[in-house]
Amino acid sequence: MSMTKNLIVVVVLAAICAIAGFAGGWFLAWSRAKSTIASLESRAASLELQLQQLQQQQQQPPPTQKPQKIKAAWIYIGPVEDYGWTYGHDRGRRIVAELFKDWLEVHAVPDVRDASKCAQVIDKLVAEGYQVIFTTSFEFMDVTYEAAKRYPDVIFFHCSGYKRYKNMGTYFADLYQIYYLNGLIAGALTKTNRVGYVAAHPIPEVIRHINAFAIGVKEVNPKAKVYVLWIHEWYAPDKARELAETLINKYNCDVLAFTEDSPAVVEVCQEYYEKGKPVYVFSHYSPMLNYGKDVCVSGQLVHWEVIYEDILLKIKQGIYNTTNLENVDYWWLLREGAVELGCDYGVPINPKFESILKSIRVNETVVLPNGTLVENPSVYDLVFIRLEQMKQDNPTFDPFTGPIYDQDGNLRVPPGERLGHDALWTMDWFVDNVVGEIPKGGG
Amino acid sequence: MKKIRIRVERVYEVPLWLRIVIPIIAILVALSIIAIIFLIQGINPIIAYAEIFHDAFLTTYGIKFNVVKLIPLLLCSLGLSVAFKANVWNIGAEGQLLMGAIAATWIALFKLKGYPSYIVIPAMYVLGFIFGALWALIPALLKAKFEVNEIITTLMMNYIAMKLVLFLIYGPWRGTTTWKYPITDEFPAEAQLPLIPGTLIHWPSLLIALILVPVIYLFLKRTKIGYEISVFGLNPNAARYAGINKTKVLVIVMLISGGLAGIAGVGEVAGIHHRLRYPSSISSGYGYTAIITTWLAKLNPLLLLPTTFFFGGLLVGGDVIKIDLRLPSSVVYLFNGLILTSLVSSDILLRYRIRLLVVGEEDDKCHS
Repeated sequence: MSMTKNLIVVVVLAAICAIAGFAGGWFLAWSRAKSTIASLESRAASLELQLQQLQQQQQQPPPTQKPQKIKAAWIYIGPVEDYGWTYGHDRGRRIVAELFKDWLEVHAVPDVRDASKCAQVIDKLVAEGYQVIFTTSFEFMDVTYEAAKRYPDVIFFHCSGYKRYKNMGTYFADLYQIYYLNGLIAGALTKTNRVGYVAAHPIPEVIRHINAFAIGVKEVNPKAKVYVLWIHEWYAPDKARELAETLINKYNCDVLAFTEDSPAVVEVCQEYYEKGKPVYVFSHYSPMLNYGKDVCVSGQLVHWEVIYEDILLKIKQGIYNTTNLENVDYWWLLREGAVELGCDYGVPINPKFESILKSIRVNETVVLPNGTLVENPSVYDLVFIRLEQMKQDNPTFDPFTGPIYDQDGNLRVPPGERLGHDALWTMDWFVDNVVGEIPKGGG
Repeated sequence: MKKIRIRVERVYEVPLWLRIVIPIIAILVALSIIAIIFLIQGINPIIAYAEIFHDAFLTTYGIKFNVVKLIPLLLCSLGLSVAFKANVWNIGAEGQLLMGAIAATWIALFKLKGYPSYIVIPAMYVLGFIFGALWALIPALLKAKFEVNEIITTLMMNYIAMKLVLFLIYGPWRGTTTWKYPITDEFPAEAQLPLIPGTLIHWPSLLIALILVPVIYLFLKRTKIGYEISVFGLNPNAARYAGINKTKVLVIVMLISGGLAGIAGVGEVAGIHHRLRYPSSISSGYGYTAIITTWLAKLNPLLLLPTTFFFGGLLVGGDVIKIDLRLPSSVVYLFNGLILTSLVSSDILLRYRIRLLVVGEEDDKCHS
């Protein structure tokens, strides 16, 4: 066997691949160059045309189109039954479908697991005549953006991203204020001064929720620490359960909060309660009181329908069209009613915990929106005062108001200052009473 | 007294018509099982099937996306057909694909940022091949030197590759313009593969795949090393007596197999996503589906074209069920899974035949 001969075969093969690649590249460069010249020539002609069009437009503004009927479709990354993120969006869709049933036709495509599949679903939906398409995962941002360019007559709205186009807006309902309110309660209820947090992915959204929660804990209980463990998944009931048990048994936490799209953590706490070791918990995203009647104190609820209602109504009225969405970005909070405090709709605090929360006093003085001073309010009252303050048109309170220090003791927010949208959206540090670290390299 | 016996016999010569008819029957069997599910859901199965196959194979929409899925499937399958020919079970195309994606990202965002596309794009393909090949080289050497089972090692290395992608997008390569989301920055225009207008088909990758179909076929059929690979696959001991170097065969098949999967990975990130992102988004299991398309094609590179096209269509068709028929997505997985199961299990009918023997008491002569 001559090794050289075989080596030659391998080299030849590699060469073929290389040649194919290089040929592709050359051809590409050549065609690009050719098209550049062609496009330069055609640009001169089209500029003239544009000028004429502009002049015409100035004389008579185009009438705003008002669609008679609207066909709107939603693309979800997960199953509707996840009882978290996708469930929340689908609930919003069902509510607006009922509300606008005279002129709105809706359709939902769940379980579109990856970006390229999303591109395909968009093409299909456009071909079927859907005029408004909502894509509800960060994974879909790039393909939605490309689709917006490809289909200039369709309106796109993407949830959780930052790319916009003339026919593509963005929206998000954020829970950080609610997490802060939950933190106030957690700080009051913990006896071990150890509060646990089962966290999904280490991205700014989750980090800001953990920080808001920790700020609430600190306000009521400066001695308490928040212990964070990461799942590295959005939906993983088994891992959530495992980490919840670790926090309870190994870290001695007696109050838990979490970000994960299932009621697993609530169920764990209910089990511990029934075993005679009460661990309290906050429901996440959907009402989870039924999964933990004795342990679910409060929680975060989302109302996507509020945003969907606003968007669809404005499209119907012709306020939003395919040319003016470049700067349309919803970042809706308590003020707009996109989020709610509670473990069930209309149940901000589980009645079981009312008396104990009313009996615990907080050592601070709060100024009510109407100007009166409240000294040493109960935790219960403090929660509702803060809730009202954040619901105001110009909120008189925000959890991310300085002074705020990070884990290394650096002053991150100077006294009296409030963090703005951009700082919150790129948050990559923990406040000083959080124990745990933000993984720098995934998981 | 006469008895009837059932005997299963090995068949060595399978007529061509049987090779075509049996897979078709298998698909029909699967379809009729799924028809029951459709009926339970209150959907006329005939209309449903007509819609799925019409959309997946007869509309421009379906074919466009079919081809998008065909590109990585074909590239991975071509490599796997070489490895499987040598009876080397490379289950790691998925991870090798991801390594190619990492290589492309490194070239596009760091190593050759700012270079013109006629340098960047070929460099991405070449380095993608090398990264995929090197990833596959590790199990190859482990198998050659220490007899470590390559099924386990290649499969496990998929997970390592996935974690490596996650490490990069959460850590050192996390984008600077992406609001701290775990994705890399977008590839510059020079590093984005050109598309056939109006589609997501990155034609340079398609071209490479199509050129490689006859190349791999001839490589396996006509070259000495291709012959050695076949002999080694049929009987490693005989190959050893014939003086075929085991290490060399293992290394060569794994390098080719991994390298081609790496090229598929380059196509996915440079052609479709334009950045490195969650592994599940870069490849929706192409490396695994390619195992099936390769088997369906009986390891014949020329037959890979129809099988990958068919499977691309199945993937598209599955989504059609979801969108048009409004069925839960679990039905889609059932649909794909049943077709797979019956196709793979029908294989036994090609290799064995069942005979009914009427056995008499006087003599054990066989009458039919």
